[in-house]
Amino acid sequence: MKKLLTIVLALMLVLGMTVNASALTVAFSQIGQESDWRTANTDDVCGAVEAEGWTLVYDDAQQKQENQVKALRNFISQGVDYILFTGVVSSGWDEVLKEVNEAEIPLILLDRIPDCADQIDYVAAFGGDFVEEGRRMAYWTANYVEKLGRSAEELNVVILEGTTGSDAAIGRAKGIAEVLEDYPNLKVVASQTGNFSRAEAQPVMESFLKSLDKIDVLLAHNDDMALGAIEIIKNAGLVPGKDIIIVGCDAPKTAFDAILAGEMNATIECTPLYSRFVVQTIKELEEGKEFDKTVIHPEEGCFDAEGGIVYSADGRVSEKAADVIADRKY
Amino acid sequence: MRKQHLDGILKSKIFWAIIAELAILIVCGILRPDFFRLKWIDQTGMWSGSLIDIINYSSEITIIAMGMSMVIALGGTDLSVGSLMAVSGAIALKLLRWDVVEFPTPGDFTVRPFALVILVPLVVCALMGAFNGTLISRFKMQPIIATLVLMVAGRGIAQITTNGKQFTTMFEPFRQIGLGGFIVPMPVIITIVVVTVMALFTRKTSFGMFVESVGINRNASRVSGLRSNRIIMIVYIITGFLAGISGLIYSSRISSCDSNNAGLNYEMDAILAVVIGGTSMTGGKFSLAGTVVGSLVIRTITTLVLFLGINPDAIMAIKAGIIAVVIVLQSEPVRRKMSELGKNRKQAIGGEARA
Repeated sequence: MKKLLTIVLALMLVLGMTVNASALTVAFSQIGQESDWRTANTDDVCGAVEAEGWTLVYDDAQQKQENQVKALRNFISQGVDYILFTGVVSSGWDEVLKEVNEAEIPLILLDRIPDCADQIDYVAAFGGDFVEEGRRMAYWTANYVEKLGRSAEELNVVILEGTTGSDAAIGRAKGIAEVLEDYPNLKVVASQTGNFSRAEAQPVMESFLKSLDKIDVLLAHNDDMALGAIEIIKNAGLVPGKDIIIVGCDAPKTAFDAILAGEMNATIECTPLYSRFVVQTIKELEEGKEFDKTVIHPEEGCFDAEGGIVYSADGRVSEKAADVIADRKY
Repeated sequence: MRKQHLDGILKSKIFWAIIAELAILIVCGILRPDFFRLKWIDQTGMWSGSLIDIINYSSEITIIAMGMSMVIALGGTDLSVGSLMAVSGAIALKLLRWDVVEFPTPGDFTVRPFALVILVPLVVCALMGAFNGTLISRFKMQPIIATLVLMVAGRGIAQITTNGKQFTTMFEPFRQIGLGGFIVPMPVIITIVVVTVMALFTRKTSFGMFVESVGINRNASRVSGLRSNRIIMIVYIITGFLAGISGLIYSSRISSCDSNNAGLNYEMDAILAVVIGGTSMTGGKFSLAGTVVGSLVIRTITTLVLFLGINPDAIMAIKAGIIAVVIVLQSEPVRRKMSELGKNRKQAIGGEARA
């Protein structure tokens, strides 16, 4: 009896191993859950990996680099098949990512590309184009102003910047500045950080309203800050979306609601839905296809109340928020 | 006699805190001539102006600093208040958005009655305060260590409560807490109520004196008949409760919860407010009025920095610089020197009753 049990157990072990060997193990080191965007990003990627029947090893670093370094080393010792990686900061990854290379585990960079990217090997990289997002915010604004017939008017622009030093804030600021150079009627009169947070954007907007005589346009590096500022603008007795043109970035569902309510004018998309890319890339890598090291950007749109406004240099046209809100997942 | 009185004022810390506050306000006034102007806004039925903004945005700090004053008077510190704010906001939003399963979207709330949305977070925060109090009074742990537990664990609890998600609510009664108002913004009203209640509680009953007594000498107080442990317990429960109120204001302002950023570093600002207000970190006497001034000083500095239009990279350095000047102004040697200069005569070195 005992023997039989041993044999059965041994058989189960062997079978179990063969089953495991056929499925891929995909590890994902995520920054944490600092925003709706990040949550949607995590849910989307993790959900897709599990839906493929692959084993998912997920680690939430709670905004700490040391947690991520630890997680990456764990992934190496577990011998996972793929590592998906988003770095909480841009520097300081050289050592641990080289260890990943030495372990010969294919590395896929998501969202934030670390500084040392040219010194390490990675099989693919995917992320938003922050500079282009900044350009689009400015283009949309300029074209919208033209549509309103106010392009001869001198308009005061204020900017709520993202977290000082973050890739997204630097990129978007650069893109905005680049395009606004061509539109001298749009004059940036103040630019201050709101740390990508609703709460911190509010006192900053408050001080803009108090210290400037006239504000016509608000460009917020993300929609959360725009939404925080809207409350302040309302409390100051102004009508957001009319007295002040408000353009945000990211395009979560909350921004769509604000656009439909007429309180916000437009949002430039920065999609967190990476699952299609991740799944497709891993499948193609399994088939032996190779990618070069250039960062692949997602297809992204721009949404406003009425649609039909050109928002990029290559002539892309914005979509109507009301038409797409039903499909928004986050 | 009058001269001695003046001498006392010149040497009191709160006097210099008020001077610092006025000086910063005057600089703001010079930069923006309309700084002190108040404007009536018809749509909201509230007065609006920079001065009101300063009081409005200082309210979270002022409220937790009320509790912190007593904690510091006991010779302790409470590092967990910032995390408790996150817990309070997370629970409130969880109750408001019981319907959220996967992706958070604005919608109606599902837990009724609404009073629960307010009461549950406050009770939970008070219980967490009781946890701090137990560790400190029963288990004789160092306050800084005991409260560190919840400082770290609190954000985790907040994350678990909302499953790591940021919920958004459009439920109007809840939004009124931070965004509404009657003549002045609601957070200002709440702050005035809290400060008044705390002032009455500590000064019209003997509780404030008990706290000071325990802060000066815990054992001597116990021997002379005070239940030191119970007093410590009550103070930490109150502090937790007040952190809960602050958390509700914070999350209402943004109509959302933010487990990572809500109340982040607020414990440090609250301690700073208490210290600027003239309460000594070694315990003993405390001044709630001083704490209110301290909290206003901190907020006014932020406003000044925003008005100056300083490059965002430099903001922290500028703030730190101004705070350093304020604290040096309040230091014992400087105050003594000032009062000597003011009186222009040599005086006997007395110092405060409890320096």
